[in-house]
Amino acid sequence: MDNTLFDPTVAVIIQGITGRAGRTHAQLMQRYGTHVVGGVAASATASREPIGGIPVFATCREAIAETGARASLLMVPPLSVLPAIEDALAGGVELLVCVTEGVPVHDALKVVRMVRERGAVLIGPSTPGLAVPGHMKIGFLPDAALAPGPLGVMSKSGTLSYEICYRLVQRGVGQSLWIGSGGDPVKGARFADLVPLFQSHAETEALLVIGEIGGTEEEELATALIRAKFSKPVFALLAGTSAPEGVTMGHAGALIHGTRGTAASKVAALDAAGVRVHATMRNIVEDAARVLAPATA
Amino acid sequence: MFLIEHHGKELLASHGVPVPAGVFVPTGGDVHACTPPDGLVMVKAQVATGGRGKAAAIQAAASHHEAVRIIAALDGRSLNGKTIHGFRIEQRIDFVHEAYFSLSVDGESARIRILVSTEGGVDVESYSNTRSALASPDQLGAAAMDLCAALPSPARKALAEAASRLADIFLWHEATLLEINPLFILANGSFVIGDIKLVIDDNAIARQPAIRALLEQHPGIYPESARKLAHGFDYVEVDADGEIGLITTGAGLSMQLIDELKSQGCRPLNFCDIRSGQFRGDPARLIAVMRWIASRPHIKIVLVNIFAGITDLAEFARLLVQAATEVPELRVPIVARLIGRNLDDARQILSASNLAVMLEPDLDRAIALTLAALDCEGASRG
Repeated sequence: MDNTLFDPTVAVIIQGITGRAGRTHAQLMQRYGTHVVGGVAASATASREPIGGIPVFATCREAIAETGARASLLMVPPLSVLPAIEDALAGGVELLVCVTEGVPVHDALKVVRMVRERGAVLIGPSTPGLAVPGHMKIGFLPDAALAPGPLGVMSKSGTLSYEICYRLVQRGVGQSLWIGSGGDPVKGARFADLVPLFQSHAETEALLVIGEIGGTEEEELATALIRAKFSKPVFALLAGTSAPEGVTMGHAGALIHGTRGTAASKVAALDAAGVRVHATMRNIVEDAARVLAPATA
Repeated sequence: MFLIEHHGKELLASHGVPVPAGVFVPTGGDVHACTPPDGLVMVKAQVATGGRGKAAAIQAAASHHEAVRIIAALDGRSLNGKTIHGFRIEQRIDFVHEAYFSLSVDGESARIRILVSTEGGVDVESYSNTRSALASPDQLGAAAMDLCAALPSPARKALAEAASRLADIFLWHEATLLEINPLFILANGSFVIGDIKLVIDDNAIARQPAIRALLEQHPGIYPESARKLAHGFDYVEVDADGEIGLITTGAGLSMQLIDELKSQGCRPLNFCDIRSGQFRGDPARLIAVMRWIASRPHIKIVLVNIFAGITDLAEFARLLVQAATEVPELRVPIVARLIGRNLDDARQILSASNLAVMLEPDLDRAIALTLAALDCEGASRG
């Protein structure tokens, strides 16, 4: 994964910029410092009037050619994600951040395959986005939970990561790079894919992982940490440890079948990789603050 | 959406895949009113969970009389905490062999995992005659047939035929899991579906007319998927006798709250990801959740948790008050953990209302308030 994609100055376009959410977040992202250089409105009937000074194009190809953007934020409805990603890849977008919730799994299978064939990076779907706190954000991570600091963050859950990071910010611990990877079963970057990025990321001194029951992503992460000889402390919280088998709670990926995806399997794998796994929000905040909080004079 | 076996088999039958002849008797329904197949039958409890065989929820019956007796013994019971929705009485198949076939979405490879075995059973992955492969959707049918071709006779031919047809159905209906265990192989070399586990992607239901119709006909069997389709957000009852109703935004945080409340000895009623960012000034979602919570017999308190990144808390507070007046039957105190934009305005709106709301911006303290109100065992530990 090309680390320069996560540079604070990366130029970003927004697909779906003329929608309600697109308009709002284009402005909030600009205000936060993100280099938003353009937008795409794919519908034939959409207005292409600039939004808050941001030019609007009909296709990504046009938007990239005019602006030189490397990244795109997708704020389009679930059934429009597949064509929007085809458009983004055809236009040469290298980093795609898809916040859309409810993308059909069989669409996601096609999307992920296309993205991998092109060698692009996809974050999401169903992610609140990513941020280099204090500099830029792509998506809608809440400003109250963002502050520059030493902690790298990867999370399947938006809200649980907001809660933990907000509490840590109150304790003086901010973040170096925050990537919401999303709670869908089929998605772009998975925890394991992000390990080399955080390993080589100079500003990151420790890693916070917000996982969930279901799937095998936490187990894959444990293997990747061991393989990479990951040298920074890793803190992990797993949501859904008391969930019954066969019940999906909100995130389609958070589903246990038989013994696959259980909390026990994930805790064992992460323990073996030296990860500090916690059961409560309070404990993980205490532990991370103890390790990372600036010494009080 | 995890289809009960009866619905899974009817779906397969609608595509011409051979399944045993059978009828459905709903829980509490009249067994005498149905016309079960002649001869030996199997009585199978319809509940979306594994382990039915071990729990005696699948039994053979030699007569209609015996089938009636089996149903009477199981009627109204649950299995692994799941309600038994009814019974499928089906023709008993005379087979020579039991095989296994499954397709499932594999997140790591973003492909579909094919698993076939000449033996059925519970531990298929450890058998010697088991083959597994990953295939992209456009090559699924061919890959599944190739995999079967490598198996020994007599299962090979029947498995290959089943594999090709089931792959088409898996893709057509946007399944995330399709497992046939066992797949009966008959003396003449043909196959019949023994049991099926079929999970359809909830996000695809809107464009799956047959599945959507099933869901609309049976909202009681698939309450989570039916609610999601009708209301656009997630609500899952986790404990019908629960005491704490949750009105929360965010799947991960809601799951974590349930974990922590349970570990403190409390009984949360529900999971809820209400998505306050999508309210657009309408209290409909809040009203719906309050009604579901109020309908439960042991509810003692409601815990609201909104971490507002974008949501205006003043508007949320107004909608909460509006919803509560629409649901007067919800007579329990509310602990509202609100944090974010316009908290002070929200505080004024709530205190000016006649709602019994305790507002608390800190989540751990809000949990402690909830526990104290309930007098849970963990309350003193706070």
